[in-house]
Amino acid sequence: MSTPLQVYEPFRAGLPPLRKYWRSLWSRRTFISEYSRSELREQHFDSIFGQLWLILNPLMLSAVYFLLIVIIGGSGGAIRYGHLTASLFLFYLVSNSLSGGVKSVTAGQRLILNTAFPRMMLPISATVIAFFKFIPTLLVFMIMRTVLGLPFGWQMLWSIPIILITLIFSLGVAILISTVNVYFRDIASFLPYLIRTLLYLSPILYEASALKPELRVLEHFNPLFSILESWSLSIVHAQTPQLSSMLVATGWALGVLLIGTYFFLSREREFAVRL
Amino acid sequence: MSSLSVSNINHKTGDLAVSVQNLGLTYTTAIDRRPTLKARVKSLGRGTKQTRVVQALDNVNLDVTYGQVLGVIGTNGAGKSSLMRTIAGIIPPTKGRIEVFGSVSTLLALGIGFNPAMSGRANVHLGGLAAGMTRKEIEDHFDEIAEFSELGDAIDAPMRTYSSGMYARLGFSVAATVQPDILIVDEALSTGDAHFKEKSFNKIKELRSEDRALILVSHAMATLREICNDVAWLHKGKLVTRGKPNQVIDEYQDFLHLGKSSAIDEDL
Repeated sequence: MSTPLQVYEPFRAGLPPLRKYWRSLWSRRTFISEYSRSELREQHFDSIFGQLWLILNPLMLSAVYFLLIVIIGGSGGAIRYGHLTASLFLFYLVSNSLSGGVKSVTAGQRLILNTAFPRMMLPISATVIAFFKFIPTLLVFMIMRTVLGLPFGWQMLWSIPIILITLIFSLGVAILISTVNVYFRDIASFLPYLIRTLLYLSPILYEASALKPELRVLEHFNPLFSILESWSLSIVHAQTPQLSSMLVATGWALGVLLIGTYFFLSREREFAVRL
Repeated sequence: MSSLSVSNINHKTGDLAVSVQNLGLTYTTAIDRRPTLKARVKSLGRGTKQTRVVQALDNVNLDVTYGQVLGVIGTNGAGKSSLMRTIAGIIPPTKGRIEVFGSVSTLLALGIGFNPAMSGRANVHLGGLAAGMTRKEIEDHFDEIAEFSELGDAIDAPMRTYSSGMYARLGFSVAATVQPDILIVDEALSTGDAHFKEKSFNKIKELRSEDRALILVSHAMATLREICNDVAWLHKGKLVTRGKPNQVIDEYQDFLHLGKSSAIDEDL
């Protein structure tokens, strides 16, 4: 008698066999790229004007916020504007991942009910889509900082690991929120408030260094604080970010990814009966 | 996770295709169709139950061999769809063990249509990739799928513009065209117009072969009598009988106190 191709047994400790899960996830990477591409195409981001909108949207937003800062705070300047724009662009990577991830599982209902596949592909695709939307804004910022005359330096290379950390964090929150949305379908309507709060608590409209010492406690509670502080230092100021905030950022990102993944995997078996 | 692209070559009649051993499935599901945080907060302290536990399958033992065409019958809520989903690997079992000796293609109640905003073509591709097929395998089958579905130019239109019949046609075409070792069809034969019904019926007959196993869930007793060489009857999560189609179906219809009226027989 031949050996079975597939064996389905109850999960131990509520988790699927991880090695097998990872293997089937890896073998379906073409799905993730194909899905992201067709999703972007469907949102018209393959056209010139679609791409333009992608850049125009945060650009106009940064212009509006700049106006606000100048009126309230009185201080403008190229660095300030550069900081605002760069931070908003990175913030959008996280926020796009959140808003794309939240419905990724519930929207995949038909596929989930009909096909056996690692469900985690769905929130992963949402993060990949958010990353694809982020790339053109990065190019725009590079042009912009040249025009603004911001300092250049090798320290700007620190932004590469920071983007990586942000991606890990974005993936973590996308996975986490997609699971929560299965149980509470109205989470998506709370999301704008959450994102807005996160925006104001993060060093985007202000610089981390300008914050009053008593408000610095924010950095311990806001996972984006250390990420955005390091990001601004490296890509706007061309300075080496502090090792401590890089470590805190990495810790947050990995922690959120780990918790999100555990939560997702332990609930995944229920998705088909909960949708 | 099942993968359509992995396929054992040369199955012989009588070889085991699927082995279901002491299968039990219990799950918790939300009572609300769309559970929300708002509703949960509002009902705080009232002690209203939000979830209920469903015992979908209980100690089911079932072997399917290659060459067999197994019909699965039972009343609504008997656990037919749950059984199909556990065999397909969509829901992991709570108890017992399922062994599958080949590639599985599923056409379950909901059929295809992952993202209604995308075209039928994109949905077929995404569905195939999710099922573990390679791009090339999908490309190879695509023309055949499109032709069998008779969708014509509509294949490139967004799926939200499709009628339910078109959904069903595309779903059936995908499941039946990819040449799986084991094909599971859940109540999908009863959709589409008369012409497509006839066509899919013939396709199923054509797919009956020595080296393939078919599992059909249907309420269309006449169809099952004609196509199947084995029928299993499920009731409230338990396997009642398994045996020759006519015998089991007669028993089932007696149980329903309905007799052999043409209304049930032709419930196609």
